[in-house]
Amino acid sequence: MAAVIQMAIKDLRILFRDRLGAFFILVFPILMGLFFGLIMGGNSGGRTAAMRIVIVDQDQSEMSRKFIESLTKNKSVSLELASFESARNGVRKGSRIGFVVLPKGFGETAGILWSTPPKIQMGIDPSRLMEAGMIQGFVMEAMGSLVGERFRQPKQLKPLIEDAKKQLESDNEVNPLTRRLMSNYFQSLGTLMDSMAGIQVAEDSEFSLKSGENFQFADIQSLDISREIDPQSQAGQLQKLRSRWDISFPQAMMWGVLGCVAGFSISVARERTLGTMVRLQVAPLSRFQILAGKALACFIAVIGVIGMLTLLGMGLGMRPANFMALAVAAISIACCFVGLMMTLAVLGRTEQSVSGIGWAANMVMAMLGGAMIPVMFMPGFLKSASVASPISWSIMAIEGAIWRQYTMAEMVLPCLILIGIGGTGFVIGTLVLSRKI
Amino acid sequence: MLIAKQLRKSYGDLEAVSNLSFEIRKGEIFGLLGPNGAGKTTTISMLTGLLRPDSGEVAIGSQGRSGDPQTPLNRRMIGVAPQALSLYLELSARENLDFFASLYGITGRRRRERREWALEFSGLADRQNDRVSTFSGGMKRRLNIAVAMIHEPHILLLDEPTVGVDPQSRHHIFDSIRTLNAEGLTVLYTTHYMEEAQRLCDRVAIVDQGRLLTLDTVPELIKKYGSRSVVTAEVAHFPGGERPAGMDGNQLRLEAAEPLKKIAELHSQGVEFHTLNIAGPDLESVFLKLTGRSLRD
Repeated sequence: MAAVIQMAIKDLRILFRDRLGAFFILVFPILMGLFFGLIMGGNSGGRTAAMRIVIVDQDQSEMSRKFIESLTKNKSVSLELASFESARNGVRKGSRIGFVVLPKGFGETAGILWSTPPKIQMGIDPSRLMEAGMIQGFVMEAMGSLVGERFRQPKQLKPLIEDAKKQLESDNEVNPLTRRLMSNYFQSLGTLMDSMAGIQVAEDSEFSLKSGENFQFADIQSLDISREIDPQSQAGQLQKLRSRWDISFPQAMMWGVLGCVAGFSISVARERTLGTMVRLQVAPLSRFQILAGKALACFIAVIGVIGMLTLLGMGLGMRPANFMALAVAAISIACCFVGLMMTLAVLGRTEQSVSGIGWAANMVMAMLGGAMIPVMFMPGFLKSASVASPISWSIMAIEGAIWRQYTMAEMVLPCLILIGIGGTGFVIGTLVLSRKI
Repeated sequence: MLIAKQLRKSYGDLEAVSNLSFEIRKGEIFGLLGPNGAGKTTTISMLTGLLRPDSGEVAIGSQGRSGDPQTPLNRRMIGVAPQALSLYLELSARENLDFFASLYGITGRRRRERREWALEFSGLADRQNDRVSTFSGGMKRRLNIAVAMIHEPHILLLDEPTVGVDPQSRHHIFDSIRTLNAEGLTVLYTTHYMEEAQRLCDRVAIVDQGRLLTLDTVPELIKKYGSRSVVTAEVAHFPGGERPAGMDGNQLRLEAAEPLKKIAELHSQGVEFHTLNIAGPDLESVFLKLTGRSLRD
């Protein structure tokens, strides 16, 4: 066993000293995982990201702060404060959907229904016009909350009512009938403000105006109309996704595994062409020990790649649902691909031929098995054909452990198939290789 | 020490080794001399158990033991430096030595000692941590032999160990082999360079087309099969009369069983020489005599 371990250590050392080999095993899968994870960002459990908009508060008044506070409570938008230039650049460069400017004087008339409405400027990315309408709605909603805010401060509102009354009386152009109606309205409003100010004295009583009571144009309530989705359907499966990396990292793991398979199958051919196989054969080792050394090195590399990408995925937010199942999946995958490596190693005589055959076989397995396009997004006939690829079973096992929430009983089928493929490959490869060396 | 009995090996219709028998004695340097394609590497492969002969047998024995070279015990007795540089180019000299030592169960202090010895032996102590891929051809050849010696075998099989080697490394390899032999190591040395076999080997087996042509010590082979010495000279003065055979312009080339006697005779006739060279018979002439072809053909 010591000799087998020594041979495995030697092979791993050689593998990772080959920069190109190390790239395909370590770096390339990470790039694939990140790339597909980023482009599949919208599929993370059906959740959509909040609209990122910028507020330019040039007024710096209490009402502008109340406006921002109200908008912040809206879960559909993600707010940030910035200067006018910075906000405009953010939208121009496409990193923000739009910006809202609260100019000086905004707070003077904001929330006063009878006064001239305050000015608000908005700059929206021209390519996001649909969101522009939504943002306008959110702004109006926040403005509505300011009306309520005014009524919650009757002492401050009373002088404004008196000013409005005086302006009305001194304005000769106003129709007498309108003047009388408006005058009565301001009179009633003033009386209401006096009453509200009186009520506010006993603020802690059960009849007091609570901070939660806001003026609203309408009380809009959301009704639960979530669709009933078949859990086995694609949409049902996607609902289980917990991060954008849940699909891309199992794919990335398979690219790493394929890199290991290619690297080790070439190394077997290299031992023959380099002549080192002769040294191994004249050493007091059995053929089984020589082949077991190669198999062990490949097994460790596959487990290592899956482990490394799991840790990286977790660092980015992937949360495996069942670590025990993930370990079982990793071991089954390692068994499978060690066997396939043995078979690929005997298909060619030279490094070049093994490399060519190996990558060709890997690409077919990868494409068919969902390492490029996930099987669930494939057309029906390809979905059926994918069962022929061990990559498909491998991804199923890993995804079962990470986000599909497979029970251990559900893990049995893909894992047994993987071990079966590996065992067959190992026997074929070992028999042919034993004759060749 | 190592006996080959009537070995035969064919690849399809080609008979690579035919009825080859010899015995390598303990403590000698045994040369297997023949042109490329003579069957030397096939013979070594059978001696080490890498190839099974179609018929015949190989026995390795020491101190009363003998047997199949494929058994682990007998494999430990043999060190092989294959013709191809059988080294891991991505590993350093030190890592190569450590790895191959570990295959023979050599660990701990013993491994350190053997590694130090091997690095000293190959003259690579100061390059021990460099990757083999950065070594010259000669350095790789020296390390190839050192790796074969890492487990202290009783018999060392060297298959064309000086192919592609610079003169300095060749000299180093010869000295190393002589030193090891002086310490009691038995060596099988295959080569197609007759001067190497002549210079190093106690006994030489000449093979061609898979067959053993002859086997003996170098002096005996020359005595048995060597032709006469060759005298070449640039003549300064010729007295006139009938010119001797082999005279071309002022260049003289002649063969003689007793060259000094022949030169003295010419001199007494008034022939004076600018330059004079006498080449004694060698294994090249032995091979020529036995096959009718030059070893370099």
